[in-house]
Amino acid sequence: MTMATQRLSTLFFRHAAPATLLRIAATSVLSLALTLAGLLAVTFAMSALSPIDPALQQVGDHASAATYAQARHALDLDAPLPERFVHYLDRLCHGDLGVSTATGQPVLGELREVFPATFELSTIALLLSAMAGVGLALLSARWPGSWIDSVIRIISLLGSSVPIFWLGLVALALFYAHWHWAGGPGRLDDAYEYTIDMPTGLVLVDSWHSGMPGAFPSAVKHMLLPVLLLASYVLGSIARLTRTALLGELHQEYVTLARAKGAGSSWILLHHVLPNCAGPMLTVIALAYTNLLQGAVLTETVFARPGLGRYLTNALFYGDVPAILGATLVLGIAFILINGTTDMLVRLLDPRQR
Amino acid sequence: MIQGALRRFGYMLLGVGIVLPISPARADTPPGILVVVQAMDDLVSLDPAEGFELSSEQLFGSIYQRLVQADPADPATLQPVLAASWAAGDNGRSLTFTLRAGATFANGDPVRADDVIYSLSRAVKLNRSPAFILNELGWTADNIDAQLVSVDATHVRISWPAPVSPEFALHILTTTVASIVDKREVLAHQQDGDQGNRWLKTHSAGSGPFRIRRYVSREALVLDANPSSPGVAPRIKTLIIRNIADAATRRLLLEVGDADIARDLGPDQFTALKGKPNIRIAQFPSATVCYLLFNTTDRSNPALANPAFWQAARWLVDYRGLAEDLLQGQFSVHQAFLADGFPGALDDTPYHFDPARAKAVLAKAGLDHDIDLTLDVFNEEPFIDIAQSLKSSFAQAGIHLHLRIEAGAEVYARLRSRTYQAAWLYWIPDYFDAHSTASAFASNPEQGSHTLAWRAGWSIPELSAETQQAVMSSDPAERLRLYRDIQRKVQSDSPFVIALQQRSQLAMRSNVRGYRQGLDADMVYYDQVTK
Repeated sequence: MTMATQRLSTLFFRHAAPATLLRIAATSVLSLALTLAGLLAVTFAMSALSPIDPALQQVGDHASAATYAQARHALDLDAPLPERFVHYLDRLCHGDLGVSTATGQPVLGELREVFPATFELSTIALLLSAMAGVGLALLSARWPGSWIDSVIRIISLLGSSVPIFWLGLVALALFYAHWHWAGGPGRLDDAYEYTIDMPTGLVLVDSWHSGMPGAFPSAVKHMLLPVLLLASYVLGSIARLTRTALLGELHQEYVTLARAKGAGSSWILLHHVLPNCAGPMLTVIALAYTNLLQGAVLTETVFARPGLGRYLTNALFYGDVPAILGATLVLGIAFILINGTTDMLVRLLDPRQR
Repeated sequence: MIQGALRRFGYMLLGVGIVLPISPARADTPPGILVVVQAMDDLVSLDPAEGFELSSEQLFGSIYQRLVQADPADPATLQPVLAASWAAGDNGRSLTFTLRAGATFANGDPVRADDVIYSLSRAVKLNRSPAFILNELGWTADNIDAQLVSVDATHVRISWPAPVSPEFALHILTTTVASIVDKREVLAHQQDGDQGNRWLKTHSAGSGPFRIRRYVSREALVLDANPSSPGVAPRIKTLIIRNIADAATRRLLLEVGDADIARDLGPDQFTALKGKPNIRIAQFPSATVCYLLFNTTDRSNPALANPAFWQAARWLVDYRGLAEDLLQGQFSVHQAFLADGFPGALDDTPYHFDPARAKAVLAKAGLDHDIDLTLDVFNEEPFIDIAQSLKSSFAQAGIHLHLRIEAGAEVYARLRSRTYQAAWLYWIPDYFDAHSTASAFASNPEQGSHTLAWRAGWSIPELSAETQQAVMSSDPAERLRLYRDIQRKVQSDSPFVIALQQRSQLAMRSNVRGYRQGLDADMVYYDQVTK
């Protein structure tokens, strides 16, 4: 074990006996499983009770009665409800999420295309906003009430209060159309957009491996504006909430003791206060992540990038039930995983939460 | 307070965004490549036997060909495409086609009589959304094989059991569902007896001026020119259709020069584009008509079944305000079910917005009390704006419309179960013959199909018989006379208030030449485009 991993494991597992760890992991897995079961039941109920007729959705309004009946049968709509639930679970276990009524393509395949795009964009935006947000919060907490604090407050409020679609359009008009600094709508320039293969669905990875020298820079250029916008959208909440947590902690007795022992303010903030705020910070960042995963709709629309948010919104507009269910399920699983992981990490980091 | 200040700062930034001029195009799209940006999220299938959405209909004309097609210059005239000529049979229920000599599919396979028979019978047997158009000829999965006969390698005899004229049958054969596919290629990609349907959703096997190179679901369709296409020689090498969901983004791409043609822009985008250098706005007629429909079977509101109420409603639509102010020329006032441009269409507009007259009509019928109605509307623009205008104009005669804005599938489900009160809808003819529209608006046969008249609960045995007589007649002049008469009856006394006809507008770079578009959705022609 290297020094670094040793320090990391001490940070996470201090005071935690192996039995406790096992208990935490078991409770987390159980609660994940229960939440997932609830999600499945709710998504099926949504589909069964929805006023939308998927067969009509698929064949259109002008189709003949025979065509309509054929589609109903193909979609399993003529079976009784309990039987349909069993079929639904059975299909789900086999990885079959049904066929989108709006595009005629299997939902799973479509999700496989859109989810990596959203994942890539959100994760990069999250990393950026988490680093910037925590940095800004540290500056604010170091000099609370100063002009630095005020400027940071304005920056973070601006990001979360200006409508993102408007900001997106203005950013495109300035940086793409006027100054040509950034790439335009789409994930790549036209020369690469429809020629490189996308096995992973992550445009940075696929363009890197495409063997075309200009593809990767083109992907980065096109990613610049949407990533910055998304990051600015969650930056505010990360910076503000982290600042509050840091200031709250600064009033604790151990800080006074450290001061009495002669430690400098910055030292105390970085070495004592920051580690103790890890719990609230993780929670805020996890919340921001879930927001980014589902909330990138407008960014994806304005920048014409494929993504889960836009997929779900389209599905809702068209009343495309299988697609709505599939996307909800994926989002639900992502939420459960993010929340579960965060819970577990917070409990490991903070003995008071066990 | 801070929020308010920020909002003001935001508005200031918006001002800066508007004032800053967009610089001249950085670069045009590469030579030989035409980039079209449009909303393409509705596309379900590129198999001509299945696709029936606006986006796929607009593309089939470029990918596939039929035996006969409408002349792009005059859609009422038919011209032979994969056929060289045809002759009607003695009984008036068959046509014999001579195939065009030397015609080939994009992959080089010859177009044979066998391909024609396979394509038509495949579409009927697959029985997907557009199959009902072929069913108009009386074709079903059981009888279709007996109706299509290969006389020899270059002659096909097509017959039909329905009592309709050869002219009508020819119009049915111009529809995209009657596209001819390459039997050998399609069967080579068959999976589990699906007649190649899964493969054809995203690939092509046709003889049209373009062939599919790549289709990326919800993102783009890339088409390559097919220089061997019978009768046409495409002038661009590649056609890229990009799905850009946001209209403002589409406008930006066009202005910058990263797109050559932008479709589906809103009135505000056209206003902003007017007068810009390098941009041209083109306008084409469209066969889409918009109308109000009342459900006369709704027992909770007896006024809906009262012809005086229908009459009053005709004076309560602000036709000119909608067409000119709200929709800024994207629609024109049109009050008959056949769109302007269809042979026999009525173009007079006897009704205008006159709430006083509507009130008088209602008072005379004893309906001078407040009437509350739910109006179903699609959750898309411009329908929501139109519904808002109807709400305020109807309120002036004491008719209070409560808007229910829903996804298309929900609105249609209510119409089909007749659980609605009123709806604002649009109609696009399924094929270029008056019968497509007349049979929907003016026919409600007992135990027949559920037409629009059935959805209105409008009992019209005599008018239904007249509509049937019109489709059976083989005398073109007599047909036109009958359709004018039927339109007049629907216009003056029916639970339909037909109000607007769409004008299709699109914006293009000014160097784009030769783009043509006709009345129907499938009449979009990219083959003569140059730039």
